[in-house]
Amino acid sequence: MTRPNYDAVIIGAGHNGLICAAYLAKAGHKVLVLERRHLLGGAAVSEEVFPGFTFSVLSYVVSLLRPSIIRDLDLPAHGLELIPLETSFVPHVDGPGLCRWSDDAMSREEISRFSARDADTYPEFALTMTRAARFARSIIDSNAPNPASLDPRELLGLLRLGRSIQAEGAEFVDLQTKLLTMSAVDYLERWFESDALIAPMSVSGIIGTFLGVRSPSTAYVLLHHYMGEIDGAFRSWGFSKGGTGGVSLACASAAESYGAEIRIEAPVEKVLLENGRAQGVVLENGDEIAAKIVISNCDPRRTFLSLVGEDELDSDFVGQIRRYKYRGSSGKVNLAVDRLPVFPGRQGSAHLRGDIAIAPSVDYLERAYDEAKYGEFSKRPYINVVIPSVLDPSVAPPGQHVVSCFVQYAPYHLEAGADTWPLRREEFGDTVVETLAEYCPGFEDSILHRQVITPWDMEQEYGLTEGNIFQGELSLEQLLFQRPTAGWSRYATPIKDLWMCGSGTHPGGGIMGASGQLAAKSILDSGDL
Amino acid sequence: MSSRYDAIVIGGGPNGLTTATLLAKAGRRVVVLERRDQLGGVASSDEFHPGYRSAGLLHDTSSLRRWVVDKLELKKFGLEFHRHSTPVLIPQKEGPGYLHFREPDKAKHEISVRSKSDARNYKDFRRFIRRVSPTMRRVFDEFPPDLAGNELRDLWQLGRKAASLRLLGKKDMMEVLRVAPMSVADWVEEWFDSEILRAAIAAPAVTHGYTGPWSPGTSFNLLLSETQAQPSVKGGPAALVRALASAATAAGVEIRTGSRVVRLNILDSAVSGVTLENGETLEASTVAASCHPQHLFLQLIPANLLSLDFEKEISCYRSRGTAAKVNLALSEYPTFNGRPDAEPMMIRTGTSINDLERAFDAVKYRDFSNEPMLEIYVPTLEDSSLAPPGHHVFSVLVHWVPYDLEGGWTDDAKVRLLETVLDNVSVYSSGLRNALVGVEVQTPVDLETEYGLTGGHLYQGEHAIDQMLSRPTHHCNRYSTPFAGLFLCGSGSHPGGGLTCAPGALAIEAITDRNGATAAESSR
Repeated sequence: MTRPNYDAVIIGAGHNGLICAAYLAKAGHKVLVLERRHLLGGAAVSEEVFPGFTFSVLSYVVSLLRPSIIRDLDLPAHGLELIPLETSFVPHVDGPGLCRWSDDAMSREEISRFSARDADTYPEFALTMTRAARFARSIIDSNAPNPASLDPRELLGLLRLGRSIQAEGAEFVDLQTKLLTMSAVDYLERWFESDALIAPMSVSGIIGTFLGVRSPSTAYVLLHHYMGEIDGAFRSWGFSKGGTGGVSLACASAAESYGAEIRIEAPVEKVLLENGRAQGVVLENGDEIAAKIVISNCDPRRTFLSLVGEDELDSDFVGQIRRYKYRGSSGKVNLAVDRLPVFPGRQGSAHLRGDIAIAPSVDYLERAYDEAKYGEFSKRPYINVVIPSVLDPSVAPPGQHVVSCFVQYAPYHLEAGADTWPLRREEFGDTVVETLAEYCPGFEDSILHRQVITPWDMEQEYGLTEGNIFQGELSLEQLLFQRPTAGWSRYATPIKDLWMCGSGTHPGGGIMGASGQLAAKSILDSGDL
Repeated sequence: MSSRYDAIVIGGGPNGLTTATLLAKAGRRVVVLERRDQLGGVASSDEFHPGYRSAGLLHDTSSLRRWVVDKLELKKFGLEFHRHSTPVLIPQKEGPGYLHFREPDKAKHEISVRSKSDARNYKDFRRFIRRVSPTMRRVFDEFPPDLAGNELRDLWQLGRKAASLRLLGKKDMMEVLRVAPMSVADWVEEWFDSEILRAAIAAPAVTHGYTGPWSPGTSFNLLLSETQAQPSVKGGPAALVRALASAATAAGVEIRTGSRVVRLNILDSAVSGVTLENGETLEASTVAASCHPQHLFLQLIPANLLSLDFEKEISCYRSRGTAAKVNLALSEYPTFNGRPDAEPMMIRTGTSINDLERAFDAVKYRDFSNEPMLEIYVPTLEDSSLAPPGHHVFSVLVHWVPYDLEGGWTDDAKVRLLETVLDNVSVYSSGLRNALVGVEVQTPVDLETEYGLTGGHLYQGEHAIDQMLSRPTHHCNRYSTPFAGLFLCGSGSHPGGGLTCAPGALAIEAITDRNGATAAESSR
């Protein structure tokens, strides 16, 4: 083979791949990013699906994008503009519902309509969670500790981690244990009594998982809501101007400004291997591209079982990769509407400047999960609605709006088989519209266009295995030093010169970008480039 | 009227009797106070129908710790064990059901009929359990470490626990860490193909939390129960209570039944004794409470003596009872489908993981399923004195049954529960109703009222990971309490519930110092 043209070739132009590319290019390396689709962004993508209406097709809010990435890559200069979410509204069928505002006093007033005690507890809860989140933040911003290593540096790191937790006192140790292992509802019930408040708060624990709000281990993600605030950037929860694809485009622009090259419609067929080392990639059209190292932004199953091939790997490792769980549980319905939805009991549009959750009670949410467990989509699902056009008129024609609905549960594995999803797609879309119409009478009449994305579609079109939006379940046994498998959580793989940088690596999930950033750091530290 | 003792033990169940006996053996004058008219607590055998005695609320003695048996010398007092684990029949509507043996060589035949690879994997599964057992026992069967202690001794203890994990070898250690937070459904699915085998193995992991097999963290409970399980006590819970009572009496423990404690007497943050329902006061500078921790702190101690923080934590301790107890008096053994010649002693319904999960689902909505999971023990097969000759007793634990049933536990609701149980057993054992002589139904609310089990929880609090690592709360996870001389020694303390006697035995280390003196004695 001829001398490699590139230092690194990255498979997949999702936000992590682009961020990784930008960091490597910034360090002076020659980088090529290959994207299968005609658009950049992977799951963080904006598309004008219907004329004049730009949808954030999959991922729809920017959560926890690491502030260090925004700074290091100077993303605002590349067009990144984040618009903070201002409200969190839960409509009820029989009343004005509950709206939480960025103004604490207003939130407390709303909560006190359900429980005065809960309104009093609300700020105290935020304080405790913020303290706990400080610790969690340090975990997503650094490599996962490795308890199996005998390297003294690792052991010292573990010891330090242990001491830092211990130093906080027994109460703190207990709090962390509870957050890691309890269900979101059980944890919230330690604080609050009102079902109307507990239900919408608990849902952050189940987004993208195949778990219910009463399932143990769902409490931890509650912390994510408090992490944004200590990042010093309230804007870590928000819309990206022009849709979520704006994040990817800014990352791409940054990468290109450092000299990285990005090619679209360049699907990769295989990773080129020679003597067990990655040498480059072969495209589906047969072109070979040589590179010193190959970095995969795809999920672990695609990376190892499709792009590498199990013959090249030892059977133990293949077993671990097969065992890694995806089980997508959500779908997406994007609507173009000719007017804003009207919720009885609420005037104006102030309550629409954030997210709207169909989460009226804990029982409602749990029943939605129970249906999905046995292989059916929820007849009355949890829906997280956002209307980005309220804050960003650029995504819809004047006076018209974009309504984005994240829907759970839509299990990839339907009882009748995942491949029956195409037959159920419209029925699924109808379920979502009917559900919304219960809270917003006449809503169905405002719909101009509808795009329904089932977990099957996510797999077929966006390469998300089993429709999992996080490239693998964010369950405790698939996090930290075990993401994607024990011993391979530091972005390197058993194949020399093949690296990973996607959400299927630590810390994974959401538009944090931490996986891409940490992968780039590991690669630069390894000296392989 | 007042009597003075060195130590008072509240509750005459297995843990209370264990603590009392160990204290008496160390030379203390000890009294055990039991609210009911007979000893045994959740292991107590009662006459529930004229001529028929129950087995005890909890009827599985396979987790009784052998080291406690040795410490109490229970074999001297007649305690005997079966040579092998008792097999469990998982009956089917049609077909012979599956007889689950713990020992892989015995299990081989029943499993290979269904899947040859499962039979091989079961052997490997048991090997894995055997390899990790010593470590699990070390972590959960020793005095709990102080997670936040800064003394050298605490660090040493923590270090030892961590080191014992590492002793497993890298592969097993990583596997334990990987598996513990998983759902037991996912874990057994990795090992086995046969649904009925999966259900048979998973069931014990989910019955005492607020969990079904798909709930994360239930593999942790399976690890705990499997690494502790041994052949059970000959004669069941009744035999265990007899031996414990004899050992206590021989050690000089005074036993008072029908003596319900209504108040703890506390002076300057130190316990000084207890007051009984009849007004009698007993004095002692040491009180060990084997009752439910919420009953102790929220019922027996005046509220103004607890710090706000302590009160909040103990109130938040999760103890949602999800099991009911039904005892059936039967004129004969009603045989099970496809097993006409067998009289299995343990039977459990639920032929798939989803059967169990569905049985759990209902409880979240304050109801019980039409097809609950039933754990049936037939004590009369090993102790014929519990019923007239040839007659039998079915001791049935019904999972999952809510404490907070929608509409409340009215008489009608109890009848509905009984009928559900009878219908479900009849599916597998058609002769049941013909053999029926008498019944007893105890809902979680009855269990609370009769036994002082807050929330009706048979393990005195859910077996959830956080409540196992720090039981019942981080304020009192090492048996001692904010009150000098007051200690926990029941299932609501480390290492949790079941007929283990472990909390009762471990609590002794907190109650007495290395020389065997109680704190009050040392300060004297």
